[in-house]
Amino acid sequence: MVAVETELNADETLPSPRRIKKAGGKGSIPGFVVAILIAGVLLVPVLIFLVQAFFPGLFSSSQPLFSLSGFKYAITGGSLRGIIDSLFVSILAGFIATALGLAVSWILRRTDIKGKRIWSGAIWFLLLVPTYLTTEGWQRLLEPSGVLSKANINAAPIYHIFFGPVGVIFVLGMSGIPFAYLAISATLANLGGELEDAARVHSGSRIDSFKIVIPVIMPALMSAFAIVFAESMSDFGVAYTLAANAHFPIATYTLFSAIDSVPLNFQQAAAIGWLLVASAMVPIVLQRRVTKSKSYAVVGGRRRAAKIMNITGRTRVIMYAFMIVLMVLAVMVPLLGMVSASFIKGLGTNFGATSLTLSNYRRVFSLTLGGSPLRFSGYLSVLTATATIIFGAYLARILAKRDTGFFGQALDLLLIGSVALPGIVLGAGYIFSYNQPFLSNIGINLYGTSKLLFLGYLASSLPATSRILIGPLAQIQSNMAYAARVHGSKAIPAWFQTVFPILSKALLSAWSLTFAKTLLELPLSQLLYPPGSIPLSVAINKLTAGYDYGGGTAMSVLALGVALLVIGVVNGAYRIFAPEGWKKMGGMFNNEGN
Amino acid sequence: MIFNLKSNKNKKSKLTAKILATAALPVIIAACGSSSSATTTSAAGSTATTAAKVPLVVYSAQGYDSAMTTAFQKATGITTTLVDDSTGPLLTRVQAEASNPKWGVLWVDGDEAFAALDQQGYLLKNWEPKVNWTSAAKLVIPKDGSYIPTGLTMAGTLVYSTKTVQSPPTSWNALLSPQWKGAVGMNDPAVSGPTFPFVAGMMNYLGGVTQGESYYTKLKNNGLQVFQTNGDTLHALGTGQIKLALIQSSAGIGAGIKDPTIKTAFLAPSTLLPGVIGIDGKASAAEIAEAKQFVKFVLSPAGQKVQLSGDPSGDSLYWPVLQGVNPESAVPPLSGIKYQVVNPYKWGPQENTINGWFTSNIVN
Repeated sequence: MVAVETELNADETLPSPRRIKKAGGKGSIPGFVVAILIAGVLLVPVLIFLVQAFFPGLFSSSQPLFSLSGFKYAITGGSLRGIIDSLFVSILAGFIATALGLAVSWILRRTDIKGKRIWSGAIWFLLLVPTYLTTEGWQRLLEPSGVLSKANINAAPIYHIFFGPVGVIFVLGMSGIPFAYLAISATLANLGGELEDAARVHSGSRIDSFKIVIPVIMPALMSAFAIVFAESMSDFGVAYTLAANAHFPIATYTLFSAIDSVPLNFQQAAAIGWLLVASAMVPIVLQRRVTKSKSYAVVGGRRRAAKIMNITGRTRVIMYAFMIVLMVLAVMVPLLGMVSASFIKGLGTNFGATSLTLSNYRRVFSLTLGGSPLRFSGYLSVLTATATIIFGAYLARILAKRDTGFFGQALDLLLIGSVALPGIVLGAGYIFSYNQPFLSNIGINLYGTSKLLFLGYLASSLPATSRILIGPLAQIQSNMAYAARVHGSKAIPAWFQTVFPILSKALLSAWSLTFAKTLLELPLSQLLYPPGSIPLSVAINKLTAGYDYGGGTAMSVLALGVALLVIGVVNGAYRIFAPEGWKKMGGMFNNEGN
Repeated sequence: MIFNLKSNKNKKSKLTAKILATAALPVIIAACGSSSSATTTSAAGSTATTAAKVPLVVYSAQGYDSAMTTAFQKATGITTTLVDDSTGPLLTRVQAEASNPKWGVLWVDGDEAFAALDQQGYLLKNWEPKVNWTSAAKLVIPKDGSYIPTGLTMAGTLVYSTKTVQSPPTSWNALLSPQWKGAVGMNDPAVSGPTFPFVAGMMNYLGGVTQGESYYTKLKNNGLQVFQTNGDTLHALGTGQIKLALIQSSAGIGAGIKDPTIKTAFLAPSTLLPGVIGIDGKASAAEIAEAKQFVKFVLSPAGQKVQLSGDPSGDSLYWPVLQGVNPESAVPPLSGIKYQVVNPYKWGPQENTINGWFTSNIVN
């Protein structure tokens, strides 16, 4: 970290061509072009949809031009309950995930716990698994006539607790741990041991050290809470499965119901959309304001290395027990539920016989059930991940510059806002906007095609990926590429020879994450899938909704297996074929303890 | 000077990069297009035959729709794309596409929705295939020929297991008694196609919307549980969450085939529920012609064979609308059931209002 800071300072003293030209600055063409592109796939469709909350007659002659009746609906009855429920579960999930993320970060960063690679891998896996699959695993295990019930284990008391708000908060809290961990762990790793040492020198206890460290890492804790809260408010997986079945309405599901059941009402959906977007963005904006209003800077050039604690005795036992129990609850139990259910015939009902079988896998491998959704989603996921890192890197390049100009700042604001944009709002925006006849009249016929689904995936993954890539790009000195240019290399080869090697690990991580997230994505897939082509997540939920639990879980296991296999192959190929120098730099998770 | 030179070169390179980046998106989008066409099954038959035809898009909630579209495509060479979903989502999809429809054929249970669509000008009028309808089918054929019945079931039949219920209720009022408190489940009419006809049927039987709302409110006060679709309600029955399920007759009879302890009873009066096909009146002439071909195929001997076998423990358990075609053996004789036919043109236009009331007051 110190070295990086020194390099960046040195870079500032150089009269680099970038400073002279201010590429990407005020009024620059790339900034403008990209802003237009992003607006087309992200801003305009969502705004056209959200404006329906105020102007329902804008695109419909049968509605009044201006009306606020959508908001009246959104803040009464079931919709109001949905918003309140969402706020309630998201706040609790935020606190749970932040507390657990802090504990995990401290254990992995500040102690000598064994198997850090395995623990980090489990967190990575948790990041990849969508909430509807976690829910599915728990439900198949606990429900009446579920796996435990078939094994003559009475899980009914636990199921009745799980099947409702408690289960929703639990799943969202567990799913939030990776986000909290990523937000907190880097800060803990960069925090030197001097603050804790100072407390101990002055006869302070461990608790006193803790009291000193907590305020210092408060920005990271707030960031963790804000991210988990926004993710929980936006989540559709639990809302569509567990919460809907338990009659515990959640805002994303009430919005979905407004556009997917009779009567259809875009105005009401748009009003709920406003409340969702506002709720998801408020903590992020507040967190930024708080962070900017007060200095939390404690990391400097004279920072001492973080002290790794040698944990012994009872503390060691408690620490291992905590990590094991946490990973069992967050990862192993839902996985066990899914895998075991996939080998059982006659699950989920007391009618008929129950037996172990492989037939569920045979069925999902058939063309109509498994082959086609897997192929379709796999294909789109590869395209989306590839396009995301290309455009994400390009956007990050613009945003990483110090003088980004008006379009750069607008782009920055748009991307920050879009990170908190619920997928269900984006999907509703796409349905409403791209189905307008005027688009057909000018030859744009994207509605009901896989092209629109791809654009939705891209718009959904681009904001987060580009923001992730800003960090690595900001650390790269521009004079490296210039050095290559001075020696006769052309621009693109120069970039591939200098910048790409440093960025390669981060791009690989971003590609892997985007691939897995897209392969298992639910809300956009559910709303935008084209006739005749069913994405994996929709197929899984269709099978589950039809009480083909064996088929649904077999397809879920297959989907997770494919996601891990592809990521494993791609990362394995990188390890084997990439030059040694590439592997030593960059990466989203390069600070992982080993 | 050197910097200026580099700056110019750099400008070119950035322009190149910009062009590459801008060009990449259409290329990738084009790649998505190839994926889409790859997943649509090509029609059998010669290229020359299929080239003149447009794809027929079928929106359907029928369990045998996949078998039917496959058979139709094989028989006619017309490329047929199926969108299979529950009735509620399909109807909202049709409404969402009102100004820019993508469907050619809509095939779901319940004629109320079709009557509403007819009144809004969505459907092709004045066309019915020339077939020998049964007397029951003639009761549900619209005067303006705007939709076509393809099969008959009953809405809101009583389904129970003899393991838990030895003496099932014999009247609608009996469901309100303390004996069945917390034991009754039904589907959500906003999602499940066969359920709005059941709700409307009860209102029709009891004398109006107000009386019907009062009945469902009492049912809710007696612990009524609402699930999304037939499958959900049957699952609740199977896992012991409820003892009595009010669902479509075909789903109940189908469950009885899988487990003989499951019985289906018809409380008087039951509400006749036609499976119905409507043709998009705004579709191209070519697609309308293909849609008519599809209807004729469904009502042909070959089509009825597919319809009777495509979903053997579900939607195939219907009463045929054609003379000379017999239902599956598990389906009881229609003559033994006391049923009513509700006027879809009276109740269809009220579907949004009634479903809205039901969602606010019974579901939530």
